[in-house]
Amino acid sequence: MMEPKEKETTQISLLDRFRKSWFPAAAVVGAFGAFVAAAFRVRPIPKPTVQPAQAAGARKPSQPAVKSAPPAGGLDREYVQSMVLGGAASAHPFGRSLSGIAIGAGDRIYALGDDEVTIFEPGGNPVRNWKVIEKAECLAVGTDGRVYVGASGRVEIYDAEGTRAGGFVAGENNRPAAITAIKVFGKEILVADAAARFIRRYDGNGRQLGTIGTKSKAGKFILPNKSLDFDMDSKGVVRATDTGRHQVTAWAMDGSPLGSFGKFGMNNPEDFVGCCNPVNLALTPDGKVVTGEKMVARVKVYEPGGKLLAVIGPEHFDPNCIHIHLAVDSKGRILAADPVRREIRIFSLAVKVGVNEPFGGPRPLIDWKFEELKRA
Amino acid sequence: MSERSTRREFIDRSCRILGFVAIGGAAGLLTRRATGNAVFQVDPFKCTACDLCRTSCVLSHSAVKAVNDFDKCGYCMLCPAYYDVTSRPDEKGIPAGKVCPQDALKRRVVGKVDEDDPNNNYYEYIIDETRCDGCGKCVKACKPPAGNGSLRLEIRYSQCLECNECAIMIACPDLAIARVPTPGMPPTKSP
Repeated sequence: MMEPKEKETTQISLLDRFRKSWFPAAAVVGAFGAFVAAAFRVRPIPKPTVQPAQAAGARKPSQPAVKSAPPAGGLDREYVQSMVLGGAASAHPFGRSLSGIAIGAGDRIYALGDDEVTIFEPGGNPVRNWKVIEKAECLAVGTDGRVYVGASGRVEIYDAEGTRAGGFVAGENNRPAAITAIKVFGKEILVADAAARFIRRYDGNGRQLGTIGTKSKAGKFILPNKSLDFDMDSKGVVRATDTGRHQVTAWAMDGSPLGSFGKFGMNNPEDFVGCCNPVNLALTPDGKVVTGEKMVARVKVYEPGGKLLAVIGPEHFDPNCIHIHLAVDSKGRILAADPVRREIRIFSLAVKVGVNEPFGGPRPLIDWKFEELKRA
Repeated sequence: MSERSTRREFIDRSCRILGFVAIGGAAGLLTRRATGNAVFQVDPFKCTACDLCRTSCVLSHSAVKAVNDFDKCGYCMLCPAYYDVTSRPDEKGIPAGKVCPQDALKRRVVGKVDEDDPNNNYYEYIIDETRCDGCGKCVKACKPPAGNGSLRLEIRYSQCLECNECAIMIACPDLAIARVPTPGMPPTKSP
């Protein structure tokens, strides 16, 4: 009876001795340390061999200083801000996006944002809104009240009440149009295709009638920023942005070039800054050219020949704007949509007595624009 | 007595086995991490091109290089990352100065070439990595709204020493250096 007991006691004491000894714990810790060392491959950090004085890491503003102020003596025209639509604090803010504006009959303002078209009265009161195709980038309004919305490779048509009335595919089958602007002229729909780098003319059924911008020396617009904007006057003269050349170009409806103005420059406000400007364009009822620029977010007004008339400075826009969508109503008010702040700023012409004759002749001292400003 | 002893032994062995499994698993994970597929890289969305990549890298010629994303690039004639647009223009109206102090940003005409009017041409911009020291001046100049934002800084794995603690990561004020898995990295097109 005694033998097995002694045997058991011996076994337990050996096991306990081994368990209580330092060896297993040290072995485990050592193995773990070796694994960690191997895993992180610990080695001393060598000291940097270059420590020049410029290492201070001082950050400079990314935008260069550009003269945006008008020259001494001022310009011929002056615009004052009369209204802001859709800002964050307004009753009808744009929540996610603001990607286009247009003017319809009765100077109603059509805004494209948040995948909706919203119609405002000229005074800013909203009339109605409706959902449109997703990722729409631009819109236009016909004289019959139809709304044309451009998304990637497709033009959607809505009637005045917002019901879908048709649509067509723009571009070629293997290369859909990157539609960045639409305008309606009579029964024709003109579509700016930034992928093909020219303007396409369509009839109401979506049949392509011709192109504009292909009869130049380069054969296409030069568009480093992948954006093409244009507008047309009542005579059918198309004016388009040629951003890579820093020019505003004029074209007949048959596609033949009529001329251009503009050049690169950082110091003269008449010139266009940066890599690719102007990015946006609209025409006033009296034929003046309104341009929107990026890098220095500003709006400028030119004579059709290229003489600078007015500058609406960068203080009105977010400096990160890569677009300022433009429209001009029948009274000459400039509507500029800032897609970063998601607001539409409306600028009215302030008349300079004896200098300004904005709509084809001298005007009385008390102009309707001042009356409008007082009302606002 | 013998029953109690067996239970103790069983619990003891079980704990040991579990402990060894846990240690082994942790070691395996760490070994996998070390052998492989994680590298230091610049997050282009956080990077502000502050110039510390050039000065903080332990290498005399920083392992950080500018790369151009050709899908984003506008192929501009007047590239704001190539020309110092604020410099005095020459007789043709083109800025005389260049942005890169090392002259590492090279360009060549692509597509149809108009020798009379350079404004009609598209230009492909390539970084000479033997010259680029990762100062980021071109990256900063290309950021929107001035440019399309096609230039960014990247750590070149072939040159990176894989320091235990990347000296640039320690210096970066924007926390733009991170350890990322290698296979997920987008390919770069710089030569």
